[in-house]
Amino acid sequence: MTMWTRRARPLLGTLVEVGLAGTGCDAAIQAAFDSIAGVQACLSRFDARSDIARFNTLPAGASLDVAPHTAAVLAAAQELHAASGGVFDVSLGSAADGWHCDERRLHKRLAGVQLDLGGIGKGYAVDRAVDSLIALGCSAGWVNAGGDLRVFGDEQVPLTLRDETSGGVRHFATLGDGSFATSHFGPTSRSVATGPSHAPVRAHASVAAPLCLWADALTKVVAISGDAAHPLLACHAARAWLH
Amino acid sequence: MRLVLATSAIALAPASAFAVDYLSAEQAAKLMFPEAERFESHDVSLDAAQMQKLDAAGVRARSARWPVRVAQRGASTLGYVVVDEVVGKFELITYAVGIGLDGAVKQVEVLSYRESHGHEIRLPAWRRQFVGKTAASPLHIGDDIANISGATLSCSHVTDGVKRIVAVVDLARRSGALP
Repeated sequence: MTMWTRRARPLLGTLVEVGLAGTGCDAAIQAAFDSIAGVQACLSRFDARSDIARFNTLPAGASLDVAPHTAAVLAAAQELHAASGGVFDVSLGSAADGWHCDERRLHKRLAGVQLDLGGIGKGYAVDRAVDSLIALGCSAGWVNAGGDLRVFGDEQVPLTLRDETSGGVRHFATLGDGSFATSHFGPTSRSVATGPSHAPVRAHASVAAPLCLWADALTKVVAISGDAAHPLLACHAARAWLH
Repeated sequence: MRLVLATSAIALAPASAFAVDYLSAEQAAKLMFPEAERFESHDVSLDAAQMQKLDAAGVRARSARWPVRVAQRGASTLGYVVVDEVVGKFELITYAVGIGLDGAVKQVEVLSYRESHGHEIRLPAWRRQFVGKTAASPLHIGDDIANISGATLSCSHVTDGVKRIVAVVDLARRSGALP
């Protein structure tokens, strides 16, 4: 039976857990947390030095150079915004066309546009942490950023889903070599989204996909569109559930 | 990607509690200060004036008594480790904060995570059953490896707790209660 080493730290505004098959994994676990902290330093709107926080304070017409992590997440966000017909919007309604990222140069077109990568950044950070674990030769494990997770290697990991109204968890599936993310938009949720009719979204959606970035981001598309068979899912080899 | 869904009978079963032990307080202290030869226990007691000082700084002291592990090597002090626990929406989190001699946070490690079933988290009796029960071993086998997916859990109560511990250690050092 596989022995596992697990650690958890507060990062990305949530608890991030790293689990690895085997023992003596301290250096690899540290590398995974360092990867996540590196992504957080670029993307967190709560860190005044991050690319996103600096962008949010720019005047209209100004631009700044961003880190490769920021450019990669913004490119994915731009792609998803276009492909989802505007449903996925990292400006959270402040002005979806008020920004533009050209390679590493992020431009602010309109005053008042604010970016928030909370709907995609955790998934990206999980993918980078998994990259660093694989590069260090780890055979199997997972990274779970507060419910957005990716499992890699030969092992299958049981997946449980939280009961969002009363707490507690239920077995949902077993997952190997893939990602799974859940979003909950309810009256008491931290996450808020508005649909095409400008009414608050009320949905509980999960997405499984090979990469955690797409699992994380596509939960918003599924929750806001209310479509668990959204055509975009197939583009990213993803599958979705509305609970 | 390999995904095998639970049968509907399992998925409809009542929600259950969830718990993970990551590290004991001793293991976390050694992980944070690997060069330490020993950890001395100090009980920091804040007086009313110190509690007020913390409140004035916007850090609610919450408790007057704070056990601190002081990392020592020979005659020198390397830093401090404080264990605390906080209650969230559904969960009870025990965590350790390592603080260097510069007063800055060196590392934060979660020691244990316990998610209640229903609203037990608000019941002191439910929380009491875990007091002092940090794991002796971080190794888990078999079914214990389940991962929770759900709405992103906030860790703002841990972040607030870390700030409180930094302020308490700073006060205690200034007053001479800690080496």
